[in-house]
Amino acid sequence: MRLRGLLAGSACIALAGTAALAEIKIGASLPLTGAFSIAGTKHQQGYELCVDLINEGGGIMGEQVDLIVSDNRSDPATAINQYERFINVDGVDAVFGTFSSRLSFPVANILARNGYVHPVPAGGALRIYTQGHQNLFYFQPNAAEYIGVSLTGMIADLIDEGSRPQTAAVVAADDFFANAVEAGFLGTEVIDPADGSVVEDMAPGYLAEAGIEVVYSEKWPEEGFNDWLNLANSIKRSEADLIIALTASAEEAVQLTRALQTVRAEPMMVYYSQGTQAEFYEGTGDASESILMHTSWHPSAPYNGELNGEPFSNQDFVDAFSEAYGAEPDEDSAIPFAVCQGIEQAIRGAGTTDNAAMGEWLYARTADEPVRTILGRFSWDSRGLPIDKPFLIAQWNGGELQFVYPTDEFPEVSELSHPKDGF
Amino acid sequence: MADIIQIVVLGLALGGVYALMGSGLSLVFGVMRIVNLAHPSLIMGGAYVAYWGFRLYGVDPLIALPVAAIILAATGVLLYKLIFEREAKSAKYSEMTVLLTFAIAMIVEGGLATAFTNTQRVTSPGYATDAFFIGSVFIPKGQLYAGMVSLALIAALALFLKYSRFGYAIRATTQNREAAELMGVNVNMVGLVSFAIGIGLAGAAGALVSFVFSFFPSKHWEWVAVLMSLVVLGGMGSILGTVVAAYVLSVLAAFVGYFFGATWSVLTFYLALFVVLLVRPQGLFGEKPEMA
Repeated sequence: MRLRGLLAGSACIALAGTAALAEIKIGASLPLTGAFSIAGTKHQQGYELCVDLINEGGGIMGEQVDLIVSDNRSDPATAINQYERFINVDGVDAVFGTFSSRLSFPVANILARNGYVHPVPAGGALRIYTQGHQNLFYFQPNAAEYIGVSLTGMIADLIDEGSRPQTAAVVAADDFFANAVEAGFLGTEVIDPADGSVVEDMAPGYLAEAGIEVVYSEKWPEEGFNDWLNLANSIKRSEADLIIALTASAEEAVQLTRALQTVRAEPMMVYYSQGTQAEFYEGTGDASESILMHTSWHPSAPYNGELNGEPFSNQDFVDAFSEAYGAEPDEDSAIPFAVCQGIEQAIRGAGTTDNAAMGEWLYARTADEPVRTILGRFSWDSRGLPIDKPFLIAQWNGGELQFVYPTDEFPEVSELSHPKDGF
Repeated sequence: MADIIQIVVLGLALGGVYALMGSGLSLVFGVMRIVNLAHPSLIMGGAYVAYWGFRLYGVDPLIALPVAAIILAATGVLLYKLIFEREAKSAKYSEMTVLLTFAIAMIVEGGLATAFTNTQRVTSPGYATDAFFIGSVFIPKGQLYAGMVSLALIAALALFLKYSRFGYAIRATTQNREAAELMGVNVNMVGLVSFAIGIGLAGAAGALVSFVFSFFPSKHWEWVAVLMSLVVLGGMGSILGTVVAAYVLSVLAAFVGYFFGATWSVLTFYLALFVVLLVRPQGLFGEKPEMA
């Protein structure tokens, strides 16, 4: 009897121990050092905040979430190795994606081969989604090649014909993401480097479609470029009405803005692919006035998401982030938060951490039954690109990043400031 | 013609900043045979001193420059006493310093990121985004001031090396460490002071960098190859060579960028490195090593 009691007691302890250890492991390889460290660190904050809130709410289906974050030093080979380690050594149940097209592209192959759902926070280059992978889910509005349509749409919808820019200077970092955005603006072919095939021909390009002539274009190398004044002077000399600067980071956007200010460039309109972050304004000050940029997220966007099976609005995110980190969030933290929401909802929806089931559940989302995040609603096409989701166009005015387009997305839209009055 | 003048002006303006960034590196190699891969990360340290001085107290980076130089020089003393002094007589000293300074760079980067986060920073005194205009040619005030301060510091260093008693000792140690020691020079003290001056120059360069370029802890990796190109082209250990190389390469890169595109301007530095190593390995002002 005593032995039976001892055995029963041991079994109870063992079961209790198992229950206590039950957890969902999620791996995320992020560029916490190196060229992408600024955005990578913010991604870590977004992921960690989301996981903390999930765990405070009791976890997913009663299981706590254990987030494993590794620093890939902005290096693609290291990112690949870390995801392989997550899968083969750590035995993670799910993964969160990494930052940048440059890192997401090679990582996509590893996660597809291992059958893991690949939620991509930052990896907009179209060719990531045309490799035939069935596990990709992009958590921004659309592929980078299609971003340009938002700007030209805004010009057509909000600016009188006589006040529209007629000429453009298009300058871009020789970067995976920036090249993709540039292809859309200039109408070049998107080539798959693996076999040279044409992924998509963007001709004639959004600028040509809008009747805007490209009078100057230039590229600078991905890393190590410091000759911003020479570049800015060339842009100024082109006398383009519209400057389109496709930078690889907000830091480059700061450098270029300061250089354009120094040479006293006076374009009618300026559009950047990066620069929604608070430090962009800190680095550029009044020179940021009227600069436009696309964004996937805005703090005042009235999106209603879900977390822990309950409503969780964009404002809830802003409040939670400010409380946790003592700073306002920007899209580099908001997007990974949405990724985490998506994976949490996929696990709950599928009722399992089986990635095949999670993937099926995510693909089954529709406009009426979407994944609900602080970036709004998501459902995806067969490539993994969101359906019917426009990019937001924001503009710096008076030190505040204001949402100006599209005008029918939300009730409160700020008025577009045009033309820009110097730097 | 105005275009050519503009390119030369911009090249020279950038060259002045590079010159100071590379001078400390060259001095440390010349005296100590330390290939200091941590030099750019210590420049970042100086940039942060200037940034926080400006951000918290509104101190102009040019005013904060001596503070940055002193703080970094003190860091140099610490690094020298803790790490480099004890290994100075090792036959593999130079090779070891490559790994040691690489590790220091990683530690400095991690320390800066922990203390100040990975957020990009830049100081914004009014002159940083202003320029003098002479006709259609402009001279950026920020880079002009940075270049002038750089040249003043380098000139002061040159005068110190040429005319002070301690400067003699440094030059003697640079030329032949063993002979200098036999002649009664305290080479260990020379090493310590030279290292402190070199790292102090990194701190001063950092204060200038803080308003010329934006920066963040990992940014130093982008500077390593550029600075090494300057030092190799100038002749390892030759401060004059480094200064000349900084101006030559910056102007050359500006021309390459203008005529062949911005992508190629960065490559100018690396191409120069290859060509120099192939054609004149001792650099412009370096001495040809004697055959054993």
